[in-house]
Amino acid sequence: MEPLLKELREKIVDILDLVDVRPDEIQPDARLVGGELGIDSIDVLEMVMMVEKDYGVKIDNREVGAKVFATLRALGEHIQQNAPELRE
Amino acid sequence: MTDKRVYIAGFGIVSALGAGRTETLEALASGRSGLAPIRRFRPPAGDPLPVGQIQEIEAGKTMPATHRLAQIAAAPILTAGGPPPDAVVVGTTTGGMAETEALLRAGVEDPAAYRWHGAATVAADLARRFGCTGPVLTVSTACSSGAAAAALGAALIRSGRAARVLAGGADSLCRLTYYGFLSLQLIDPNGARPLDRDRKGMSVAEGAAMMMLTAGDENTDAEILGAGLSCDAWHPTAPHPEGAGALSAMKAALNQAGLSTGDIDYVNLHGTGTIDNDLSEAVALRRLFGEKLPALSSVKGATGHSLAASGAVEAVIAALAARHGLLPANTGFRIPDPALGLSPLKTPKKANVRAILSNAFGFGGSNAALIVVQPDRFAPPRAMAERPLRIVSCACVTGAGTTDATLEKLDAASPCAGVVEDEVICRGLSPRLIRRLRRLPRLALSLAAEAAGDARPQGVFFGTGWGALSETDRFLTRLFESNEQYPSPTDFVGSVHNAPAGQIAQFFGAHGPNLTLTGENDAFEQALLAAELIDTGQNGPVLVVGADEAHPRLSPLFDPASAAQGADGGGALLVDRAGSGPIVSLRFLSGNGGCAGAADKLINALGADGAGARYGAVLAGIPAAKKPAARAQLDKVVSACRFTAPVLDYRQWIGQFAAASAAAAAMACRWLGQGRIPTALCAGAERFEDSRGILLLGLGDSISAVEIFPG
Repeated sequence: MEPLLKELREKIVDILDLVDVRPDEIQPDARLVGGELGIDSIDVLEMVMMVEKDYGVKIDNREVGAKVFATLRALGEHIQQNAPELRE
Repeated sequence: MTDKRVYIAGFGIVSALGAGRTETLEALASGRSGLAPIRRFRPPAGDPLPVGQIQEIEAGKTMPATHRLAQIAAAPILTAGGPPPDAVVVGTTTGGMAETEALLRAGVEDPAAYRWHGAATVAADLARRFGCTGPVLTVSTACSSGAAAAALGAALIRSGRAARVLAGGADSLCRLTYYGFLSLQLIDPNGARPLDRDRKGMSVAEGAAMMMLTAGDENTDAEILGAGLSCDAWHPTAPHPEGAGALSAMKAALNQAGLSTGDIDYVNLHGTGTIDNDLSEAVALRRLFGEKLPALSSVKGATGHSLAASGAVEAVIAALAARHGLLPANTGFRIPDPALGLSPLKTPKKANVRAILSNAFGFGGSNAALIVVQPDRFAPPRAMAERPLRIVSCACVTGAGTTDATLEKLDAASPCAGVVEDEVICRGLSPRLIRRLRRLPRLALSLAAEAAGDARPQGVFFGTGWGALSETDRFLTRLFESNEQYPSPTDFVGSVHNAPAGQIAQFFGAHGPNLTLTGENDAFEQALLAAELIDTGQNGPVLVVGADEAHPRLSPLFDPASAAQGADGGGALLVDRAGSGPIVSLRFLSGNGGCAGAADKLINALGADGAGARYGAVLAGIPAAKKPAARAQLDKVVSACRFTAPVLDYRQWIGQFAAASAAAAAMACRWLGQGRIPTALCAGAERFEDSRGILLLGLGDSISAVEIFPG
């Protein structure tokens, strides 16, 4: 899980142009959206595209999205459970 | 604004329901939907989504689909004859985008292939066909464009500047919007079902509607009695959750019309079918009407959402409702949503409809509401004395940097043309604020912030020749690189023409009118005219901003003559109707500078005798693409008006870019305050008398005259 979280942190900072955030500042259990990182609903949709493109996991409704993007760890777990390549 | 009535003396309409009055009425009376899976292009992945498509507009013709849709809508008006309109106002966002996408994908590098790309070419084409020699305006406020265009058209008539205005909207299906809205998860895979409990989004569509608005009481279908504009200043895409902006636009429209909520017989909803739009609009309606809601419906389950066209399409549907007593059904609606508390018309209804409220809301939080009524049924709209715009402060950006750096260089007769680094324009803007923004919105925010200083502007009038090229290029590049599978929602949102104006509004909390106008060299002048026309009756400053970016890939294709030099920038004026600052006014605007007699009309507007003595300096905008013609126009005006003041060809100093006149306006404002212009820049006297003003001339395909006089 840790390598995946590290990878996600770096991707998030990169694709969202989080110029004033370092990857290691994204805490696994802290609020990901609407919190101190400044991530908003458009960023969520940008992350949806990244998750689908890079991990083959589709997130196409709001209810699922709200749970998945609650925290970095929730996102990592969702990808782990649903990504064809990561599924055990 | 006078109390002149504004009649819809003729119209044309084309949508997924058909073309013209008869077909549209029959389709509306049947309640059928025109939505069907997209056929214009085949998405490589996923099922083709339902859209509102017009079969007659297949690809492969000489002009882009948007232009042809506009022509179809304008055809009945052209056929009816009559004098040419005094102005043309078209709402569009896509312009030639459908064709541009295909050309870019194919790697076509010949600029001639992109000559119809510009959004402004849709209105320019109609102006040429109608022989219009007055202002040709293009409104790009995303999904409220068509309604905002009608509002501006009505204001042109009520201000006395025009007696006949061709106003409407047009947009065609293209990959940018199809995939853009998909990336935002705003599409209902089953087709739009506005207000339904299970709605999942909208269906993108194409369409066009044009109206001949007149001041005369000919045999007409309807009258536009009022219009209201506002901005949510809340979020780039999401509407305000309590519908604050929608509510204030509806209130402003009712106020201008002199009607109360009880006078409204039917509301044509914006009703896109997205979860948030319908919720926000419902809250706004309940706040406005309380428990006494009139009959209401959204036609977007039938027509789809034709984006910039929709506001005009629905203004025409409102006129049909007034004329034929037909209230359209809310096609697609089945199960009421308790969260909305609205009961739209499930089937079409026949009833006498005296007054209609028609809503249109768009990205950037830009809202427009129109009041369409049976002709001469109500008292004329309220008159209001016209108040000139006074400049409070100004700002510019050129290759030299921001205002002070530019003026210092010009004082030393050093050229300022170029592209200044982002770090310079972003100084003072927080990194978080601009992290998602590329060149154009950064330029616009920088200009707005410098011009506004500590003031709180209430409205924004933005002009741009080419829009956000960086965002557009990034969106299309990623779309095609991913085989149309992973479009970027961020870049889509940023690519919308009015995104920079929306950013400015959000930055300042500017809830007043927010309009973006587009023209290849006169976008700033168009924005200034809009600012003059749209008077909310409030005091308080508004921003008039013009900006354009130089883009390494797209500028050479769209505007090759200017791009050869590689310059960008813009200017901003903070203006107020109160106070004692210098007065800025648009004396003349013709979108058809190439026509015979355009220069004579300008001379006439300025006054051949004595005009020359009024000005201490003339700043002439000579676009690179039209140098010989523009020089000839200038020579003619200089000699006819007997200008004695120095004439400065300012683009030689600040560079060739569409919004160069906005920067020139800011320079003029500073020089007026100093009572001198740098002599090193041009032959003639440096100082001029205190009472003299500065004249800004725009030349070439569009001819304009902007005056700035001491207050």
